[in-house]
Order: sequence, then C-alpha cells, then structure tokens
Amino acid sequence: MVAPAMTFLAIFTFYPLANLVYLSFFRYNLISDKVFVGLTNYRNLLFVKKDFLQALENTVVYSFAVVFFTILLAILFALWLEKDSWFNRFIQKSMFTPYLIAMVSTAYIWSWIFDVNSGLLNAALALIDVSPLRWLNDSSLAIWCIVIVSVWKSLGYYLLIVLASLKSIPREIIEAAELDNTPWLRKFVRIILPMISPQIFFLLITITISSFRVFDSVQVMTNGGPGNATDVLVTYVHRYAFQMNMRVGYASAAGSVLLFILMVLTIFYFRFLGRKVHYQ
Amino acid sequence: MAKIEFQNIHKSFGTTKVIENLNLTLEDGKFNVLVGPSGCGKTTLLRIIAGIGPATSGRILLDGVDISNVPPGQRGVAMVFQSYAIYPMMTVRQNIEFGLKNNRVPKAERERRISEVSQIVGLEPYLGRKPSQLSGGQRQRVALARAMVKEPTVFLMDEPLSNLDAKLRAAMRSELVQLHKQLQTTFVYVTHDQVEAMAMGDCIILMDQGRIMQQSDPETMYRDPDNIFTAQFIGTPPTNILGLESESFKLGFRPEAISLSVNPAPDKAFTHRVSILTREMLGAETLYKLRLRNGQEVMARLTDSSLMVGDELYLQVDEENLYFFDSEGNRVRKTLSQQYGAMLERVTRSHES
Amino acid sequence: MYSKHTGLDLRRGVTSGISFAFKLFMLVLFLFPFYWLIITSFKTYGESIVFPPTLIPRNFTLAAFEQVFSRLNLWNYLKNSIIVTLSVIIIQTLVGVPAAYALARYSFRGKGVMLALVMAAFMVPTQITFITVYIMMSKLRWLNTLLPQIVPFGASAYGIFLLRQAFMQVPADIIEAARLDNASELKIITRIMLPAARSSLMTVSLFSFVGSWNSYFWPLVMSNSEKVRPLTLAIERLKDQDAGINWPVIMAGNMIMVLPVLVIFLLLSNKIISAVGYRGIK
Ligand SMILES: Nc1ncnc2c1ncn2[C@@H]1O[C@H](COP(=O)(O)OP(=O)(O)OP(=O)(O)O)[C@@H](O)[C@H]1O
Ligand SMILES: [Mg+2]
Repeated sequence: MVAPAMTFLAIFTFYPLANLVYLSFFRYNLISDKVFVGLTNYRNLLFVKKDFLQALENTVVYSFAVVFFTILLAILFALWLEKDSWFNRFIQKSMFTPYLIAMVSTAYIWSWIFDVNSGLLNAALALIDVSPLRWLNDSSLAIWCIVIVSVWKSLGYYLLIVLASLKSIPREIIEAAELDNTPWLRKFVRIILPMISPQIFFLLITITISSFRVFDSVQVMTNGGPGNATDVLVTYVHRYAFQMNMRVGYASAAGSVLLFILMVLTIFYFRFLGRKVHYQ
Repeated sequence: MAKIEFQNIHKSFGTTKVIENLNLTLEDGKFNVLVGPSGCGKTTLLRIIAGIGPATSGRILLDGVDISNVPPGQRGVAMVFQSYAIYPMMTVRQNIEFGLKNNRVPKAERERRISEVSQIVGLEPYLGRKPSQLSGGQRQRVALARAMVKEPTVFLMDEPLSNLDAKLRAAMRSELVQLHKQLQTTFVYVTHDQVEAMAMGDCIILMDQGRIMQQSDPETMYRDPDNIFTAQFIGTPPTNILGLESESFKLGFRPEAISLSVNPAPDKAFTHRVSILTREMLGAETLYKLRLRNGQEVMARLTDSSLMVGDELYLQVDEENLYFFDSEGNRVRKTLSQQYGAMLERVTRSHES
Repeated sequence: MYSKHTGLDLRRGVTSGISFAFKLFMLVLFLFPFYWLIITSFKTYGESIVFPPTLIPRNFTLAAFEQVFSRLNLWNYLKNSIIVTLSVIIIQTLVGVPAAYALARYSFRGKGVMLALVMAAFMVPTQITFITVYIMMSKLRWLNTLLPQIVPFGASAYGIFLLRQAFMQVPADIIEAARLDNASELKIITRIMLPAARSSLMTVSLFSFVGSWNSYFWPLVMSNSEKVRPLTLAIERLKDQDAGINWPVIMAGNMIMVLPVLVIFLLLSNKIISAVGYRGIK
C-alpha cells in the first residue's frame, strides 16, 4: 500500500536531489557533454562572482524580516483577537483570505498599489503632501515592499495557528494566575509565552524555511531588480539554469547551497520535534 | 452451542511473554467470568478468542474445530469492548446494522433483528441518533445491541460495566444475567472486580500473571480455594494468612470464620490470644483488626459490635474453616494428603506451648 | 469610591473604542486590496490612471474583461488549470490514503525508514528539485504536455503525514470491532477511517487545490508552449503586450483566477478556519 507513494517520492523528490548535487560538480548546459570540474562551480559561486553572495544576502535579510514581523504581529493580533466574538472571527477570516490567493495575484494587486505614477500609496502620500516614493523601483525600498506583501499574505494563517495554541492552554492555569492578581504583562511573559513556545518555535522554523524559497512575488513584482537589489536564491538559480546560457552545473551548485541551508534548518527542526515529543 | 478450548496457548508482545502454555476449557452455554488483577492477561485471552489478537502459538477450538486461522469476522463471536468502540460517525441504527450488512443478511431480516434487539435493550427511541448524543449507559446498550444482533455463538464482554456509575452498574449486572438466561449462549465476561465475578458467573476463571489460578463455580471458589492467591483474591477483607514459627507451611482462615471470646471453647482447632487494634463499624457487621502475640495481624468480621479497642480475647477457628497451604502457596486438602493431619496437629498445639 | 468607579468605566470605554477603531483599520488593510482588485477591473483604462484615484468606478464597464478574452485564449488556460488541479487532487488521494493507512495501522519492515523519508520529502521544496526534474521531463519529451505539472505531485508527503496522524487517532478498538463485524480492509478505510479523518482529508484537499491552482513557479519552468500553461502564467501575457501597463485588464485577469478560490473559501470558511487552527497545534 505504501509502494506507489514511495515510488513517487523516490523519483520526483529524492532522485532529483541526489542528481542536483551530482550535477553541481560538472559543467553542463543540457546540450553538450558533462565535464567534471570538481569544486569549480562552488568556487565561482562563493569567491569569484559577487552576484550570488548578493542574492544570498538579500534572501537572508528578507527571511529575517518576514520571520520577525510575521511572528511578532501574529502574537500581538492573536492576543488582541482572542476573545470569541462574531466581529473577531470576521477579522480573522478577512486576514486569512490572502493566504489562499495565488502569490501571483497578490503580487499584481500590490504592484498596482505600489505603482509609481497612479498607485494608491503615492496618491495617499500626495494627500498629506509628501512627495511620492519610488517603491518597487527604489533599490533600497524594493525588498521591503516584498517583505510587506509576504507578511500581509500569510499573517492570517499564522495568526490562526497562534490563536489555536492560545486556546490549548488550560483555562485553569490562566484563571489561577488571575486569582493571584498577576499583572497583564507578567502573565504574558511568565505563563502564556512559555506555554505556547513550542508552537512559536515551530512557526519560526517553518516561516524561515518557506522564506528561503521565495520566488513568485519577486519574479512578478521586480524580477530581481532594480539592478539585483531583490535577487534571491531561487530567482538566481532559475536565471542561471534557464536564461544565462543554461548553465545547469553552476545553477545546480547554487541550488545545492540552498539545499544545504534548508537541511541545516530542517535538522534543527527535527531536533526540536524530538524534544517536544519528549516533553509531553 | 459453543465450547471453547485453549490448547497450549502462548502469547508474547515482542519479547515480553504475557501468557505461557495455557490450557483451558470454557463449557457451552455457561456464564464464564474471567477475573484477575489488572494486567494479568484477561483482555489478551478474550482477544485470542475473538481473533483480533491471535496467540503466538497454540490452538483454539470452538466446539472441537480449530479456529486459530479463521478471520475474526467469521468466527461467529461478538464482543463488547471495554471502551464500547462504537463507530462515532454512524447512527445507532447504522452501528447495529453494520455487521449484518457485512455478512449479507437480507434487508427484511435485518429490520426484524434490529427492532427486536433495540426493544430488548431499550434503544428504540434513539436509533436515529449519533453516539455523541447518548449517555454513557445508552452507549453501553448500543455496544450490547451491536453484539446481540449478530446472534453469536459466543458473547465476549470486556469489562462492559466499568464506565458506568454504581447504580447503573448494578442494574445492568442483573440485566446481563437475565440476557444470558434468555439467549443460553456461551458468555465470556471479563472483570477485575471479584464481587461482580461472584455475583454474575456460573463459572469463574481466576487468573494471575497469565496463568489460571482456579476455575470453578462461585461457591467453590469461595469455600474451597486451591491456593493462597485465590483465597486472598476472593472475599473482602481477604483471607488471613499466617506463617507459624519454624514451620514451612502456611495457615489461612477467612475474617468471617473467626470467633472471639473471653473464655476459649475447648473444641476449636485453632486458638490464639489476641488484642483488638482497630474497630470499624460497617452496619450489620463490624471489622476488627487483631494483633496476635507474635506480632502478626489478622482481620475479623463479626456481627458482634460490642468489642472495644484494647480488649484482650481469644481468637478461635473451627477445623473446617482452616486452610493449609504448602510452601508454594498451594492448598493441602484433608482428603488428598497425609501431611494434613500433621499440620492440623501442630496448629492445634501451637497455642498450648 | 464612586468616582473611581466611573473613572475606570471611562478608561475602559476609551480603550475599547480605540480597540474597535483599530480593528476597523485592520479590516480595511486586509480587505481593501481585494476591493481595489474588483473595482479596478470594472474601470476604463482612462479612469484607472486619474489622480486622485476614484474609489467607485464612474463608468462601470466590462471592457477590461472583454479585452482579456479577446487577447488571450482564456479557455485554454482555464482548462489547463482545472485539469491539472483535479488530477493532482485525485491522484494524491488515491496514492496517499492507502499509504497513510498502512503507515498508521500496520507494522512492517522498513516502516521507520519510510516515515523518515516522508518527513524528509515534506521538507524538500520544489524550488530545489526543479532543475533535475526539468532535465528528466525534457528527456521524456513531456514538456509540451500537462504531465510535468501533474505526475511529480502524485504523492504529497504533507498529505500522507497529516492523514496518518488522523488515522492514528482512531481508537484501535473501533477497527477491531469492525473486523469482528466482518468488514473488509477497503470497507474499514471507506466507512471508518475516512469519515473519522474527514476534517484532515478536507484540509489536505484544500491545500492541494490551492497549491495546484495557484502554482506559478513550477508551470513556468515545466512548460514550453502556451498550449499547456495554466492561468497563473496567462496574466503575464496581459502585461507584456502593452506599452503602458493596463491595470484594469490585469486586474480582470486576476479576478478570474482568484474567484474560484474566494467562492470556495466563502462557502467553507468556518470549517477551513477551524481545520487550519487545529492542524497548526498538532
Ligand atoms: N500491545 C501490547 N504490547 C505490549 N504489551 C502488552 C500489549 N497489550 C497488553 N500487553 C501486556 O500484556 C499484559 C496483559 O494485558 P491485558 O490487557 O490482557 O491485561 P488485563 O488483564 O486485561 O488488564 P486490565 O484489567 O487492566 O484490563 C499486561 O502486562 C500488558 O502490559
Ligand atoms: Mg483489559
């Protein structure tokens, strides 16, 4: 009964992974023969060309920003929307809606809002007499625009998860704290936060991993630009594999670096899962 | 029509052996009760009969036919689980009907049996409900109805009353006994409660650590225990067991077999001087904890409630109420052994010295 | 005593007023972009670039939609999206349910390894495997078919994992009771396990649907002709062909893409919300 599933995973997940690492040691462009080049691709990637490190840096900045704001806002909103009322549920639903929408559509809507000439944001700035900003065309602002869109899109989803974990705290514990006349902040820091910390940690890892895979929003909104101010790892790999003379071996090496980063994060995550099982 | 025989049954979970070489016959048509302390293997034995937890080795016969390799659904047995195991997504009616449908019972016949069974257990008003809308007692009835409707040759029940409150439990006990009278099929009923076992069973099988300690009717189980374990498991408070100085055998007598008096009667087999440590008035009877001169303690259960803590008296037991056990804990009976006379004599003399 | 009381009431009133105002602001922040999407798609190009922007279209027009249909063979893209999405959901269910059942209920050699592999696969993003899968697909000459968008997703590690969790929650007693009731394995799966795992099954299908319908990166890589591209890629074509960006047309295209998902969400939102929350804390 497990055989079909395992076959699919073997062919389309594990074999491609192994093959990717294998190809990263070759010069290969899909047409000519493979030429073994050892670590040359990695050397070019990390020490010769500057653009990969730029993409890596952009990805790291983007990921940290997304993780930080998503988790912070998810916790704050969860505490604030915790009470079960019609209105709060409606807000939760509204906030969750963007999560189900294609990132492509989201990116287009926001590109339109960020539009320099007739976009909504510049119109709003004009209303309060601030000179228009160049948003996605501004190399220092662009990445933050993409961060905003990502946080906006997935905040509602993570909010629901934090809300559910808040609900899983036994009522008696909170009530006991209230009977002890614990001040609000202290109650949050000493009781609520430790009780939901396993879930928060879980979110930390999953959001980090998904942030490292960012592609759609960048591709639609900036295509890596201006310059390569918003170039990220996946757009980088994609560009080298399919546009820049199909340098598949080189792109594979870049993909392998991404794989390595994700593996480290994943191992971290499994370690943590193991501990959590122990903890219960 | 179903006699169940276990032949050389072994059962292990991984490396832990739970049952080793068990041989047992459950007679046809009896209300058999499997009783024993928690973890002794009662559920395991029941699951072997049902076929859902087959034995590691050995044979199980139903009316002389080896059913070890027959799938559970085709053994003609029905089981009421300790947790009831009602299908939560089906209505009461669908729960009862499920097994019949799987066995391709025709629709008209199904209808007939469902209405008959639901009438017997009093579920008629609830047939359209989901299990989550039922009380504990009603769920228990669903589990029962689901088993009954299959008209099984063997009825297995794993502590079916343990989740009910005391009052409902008492009521269901007598209903189950009545049901057995009506159906006349073989029941195998598991409990860890010796009172329930004594109250319901025709035949009690007492187990400990995967072994059968004694199999007999309730009366024999109480009056004529085979070993110290049985003597102590059946009856409350348990049978008093005393070791005697420089003797390897042990002596036992029930708390209710004791008489206490200021002046010892001359014709009793066992006499000992005691003092009263505690007194517990239960109503019709009173429990006393007594201390013997050598420091051992025994319980006595008397109708006389006039004795007080601190009183010094003589404890006496008749010969017919004394049990002797060898160093292994097995009973030494009067008819079976010459040792019996020697033991009795030493006990009788023990208080004179 | 009395004055302190009213002071408290006043403060509470102000706090809840601020809180309410902020909640309204949140609603605007999260719903307004959708509103903007909708009304822009009903505007004329001229109106879309006037300053200041109009919040309600002055001339309500379907011109943008007409343009979408005239410039693109939209039915073709829509058909591709539907075929891919439905196939993925069906295949994932057929492959995933038995696997999850076996991993939850049987013990067999290599089970631990398989579980670990499923978990590992769950962590591997398509953004890494695409290069070599692309090579595989081009060797198979599948790139001008829909197969590369369907077949690689035949097994969803995430779905198997989640369903297995749900199957394990079903008490063993109930399955044994069904065996005693002479139910076949297939019947146990369909009548007992799947109904018990209904909400997980729904979550898995929903996320398969959303993932497949919304996917952009994978079809971008795995298709070499417009004939086999889904809706997500069609919108880009609305952008390319124009000198200045015609936002109403692009928004109209997006409307068509977003609508099915929004409708499903509106119909099932309560269930989806509780399923997501429940899943999150598992
Ligand atoms: N699946 C299992 N794996 C390992 N050991 C088991 C398993 N099932 C039962 N056991 C062990 O087998 C022994 C007998 O278990 P069983 O369930 O038959 O006890 P029981 O007499 O029914 O107890 P109770 O009155 O508590 O229900 C116990 O020691 C138990 O720990
Ligand atoms: Mg048991």
